[in-house]
Amino acid sequence: MRAPTEAPKKTAGSASLALRRSALLVLLIAAWWAASLFSPPYVLPSPVRVMQRLVTLAESGDLFYNLFTTLWRVLAGFAVAVAIGVPGGILLGSNRTLGAFFEPVLPVMNTVSSAIWAIFAIIWFGLSPLTPIFVVLMTALPLIITNVWQGTQAVNADFVELAQTLRFSRLKTLVKIYVPSILPYFFSGARLAFGFGWRVSLVAETLGASSGVGYRLRQASDLIQTDQVFAWTIAQIAMMVVIEMGLLAPLERHLFRWRRDVRT
Amino acid sequence: MTQTAPHAPPSDPRQALAFRHVSKHFLRGDGSSLEVLRDVGFDVPAGSVVSILGPSGSGKSTLLNMAAGLLLPDDGRVLVLGHETSGTVDWSRLGYMFQDDRLLPWRTAVDNVGLALETGSMGKRERRERAQAQLAVVGLGEFGSSYPHQLSGGMRSRVALARSLVTEPDILLMDEPFSRLDAQTRTTMHTELLRIHRERGMSIVFVTHDVEEAVILADRIVMFSPRPGRVHTELSVDLAHPRLGTPEALTLVAELRAAIAGMSADWVI
Ligand SMILES: Nc1ncnc2c1ncn2[C@@H]1O[C@H](COP(=O)(O)OP(=O)(O)OP(=O)(O)O)[C@@H](O)[C@H]1O
Ligand SMILES: [Mg+2]
Repeated sequence: MRAPTEAPKKTAGSASLALRRSALLVLLIAAWWAASLFSPPYVLPSPVRVMQRLVTLAESGDLFYNLFTTLWRVLAGFAVAVAIGVPGGILLGSNRTLGAFFEPVLPVMNTVSSAIWAIFAIIWFGLSPLTPIFVVLMTALPLIITNVWQGTQAVNADFVELAQTLRFSRLKTLVKIYVPSILPYFFSGARLAFGFGWRVSLVAETLGASSGVGYRLRQASDLIQTDQVFAWTIAQIAMMVVIEMGLLAPLERHLFRWRRDVRT
Repeated sequence: MTQTAPHAPPSDPRQALAFRHVSKHFLRGDGSSLEVLRDVGFDVPAGSVVSILGPSGSGKSTLLNMAAGLLLPDDGRVLVLGHETSGTVDWSRLGYMFQDDRLLPWRTAVDNVGLALETGSMGKRERRERAQAQLAVVGLGEFGSSYPHQLSGGMRSRVALARSLVTEPDILLMDEPFSRLDAQTRTTMHTELLRIHRERGMSIVFVTHDVEEAVILADRIVMFSPRPGRVHTELSVDLAHPRLGTPEALTLVAELRAAIAGMSADWVI
């Protein structure tokens, strides 16, 4: 018998994908530029103008300061959501009575708009970093709890029985059977929560903060600095793409490399 | 029914496993009770291969689960190496190969085998080495880093076999371990299993539907009747190995098949 050969090389496929993506980007920018020729800069600034604005924002340090301020708030709210949501989801999943009791809370929490959370946060915390953090937390928490809860339901009872025959302690069973079984669910919930969290943090910052990307967007729009609005928008999209493609996607590929690839 | 008395006679240490008047019911979803095993009693002498042959639903898996201490009998006693399963048993001396392979999909073959060693305090390095060596014993030395979904059914069975062997158990419980393999792979697995048994001398309880498989492997065959499972016949098989295709084995298979046909029309093979 021979060891299985390496998975087929995918470089050719990914090269053509990169080409198609670049083509799409060029096309969009061209369309934007063409449209900007027919409109005043305060309605639609040209790509060149926005680029220039981005450069000045970056040079002054303003760009990265505010991007990282927002990122830090998202991460803080997200971290608290994970710290509460993971044990909470496991608890609800492992206790039927508790789960049935709390079940209606999650969909209700999901229907509450992030603007409402932001208003509550302003009432409670005022213009402070706690406001966006709170909004991110309240948005991320139900997503993480729901997914972890679902994950506990998906744990294979046969694997638990296997752990029993091996006389694993409860802790060992938790670590070696439950955690790896729940991890894919947690991960997809966390990814969703992070993306939502980022978006709602901007909403919260426009309403109740004195720094961060959301605050600067609001400021720029109040002063009708449309080129700045575009610059901040592009910067925050770029940041999310980098985090998504540079961190989360490779992490997911590594963590779940044991999965059979179902994509074609 | 036998009650466990405090002055129960010391059990025979030559028996790896002993079932004494074992009965078991299950509660069904609708609240009614299902009698699965009725007054089952037989021994598994140390070092022997005992095959439990019985129709589907006759409680064979239930019996193994009792031997592994996952279930307790309603009545009667189950003794593992002379100790009652409700008391203290050195479970590390028992290996269990389930009816399905139960490989953890997120672990490579070698880490699946190593799982069985993670009960104790053995270091990671030694666990890996032993797991790798055990994989080699079952002919999968080169596939240690493969994930279960990358392996064929036969290879997955071998990994599961390696996992149940890696602790070097004195008793190996096997629940229709090869029932999903093709005939050729199954024959290979029989040869391997008998070789490992010769080398290590553990006791094996081998559950099967298949008369021929029982005849090829077993020193003793315990035939169950349809549910509720009872011991219908017990017989010794005193034939030299290898038995596949020998006239004596073929005769015995034919005899057993006839006996089964006479016993019940319910026997599902
Ligand atoms: N936990 C359980 N709860 C209720 N009924 C059960 C349970 N486990 C098994 N049974 C029932 O007990 C009967 C015997 O099951 P068991 O799995 O022991 O049979 P088996 O002899 O191993 O059959 P097969 O050859 O098909 O594997 C079956 O009718 C099954 O439905
Ligand atoms: Mg069974």
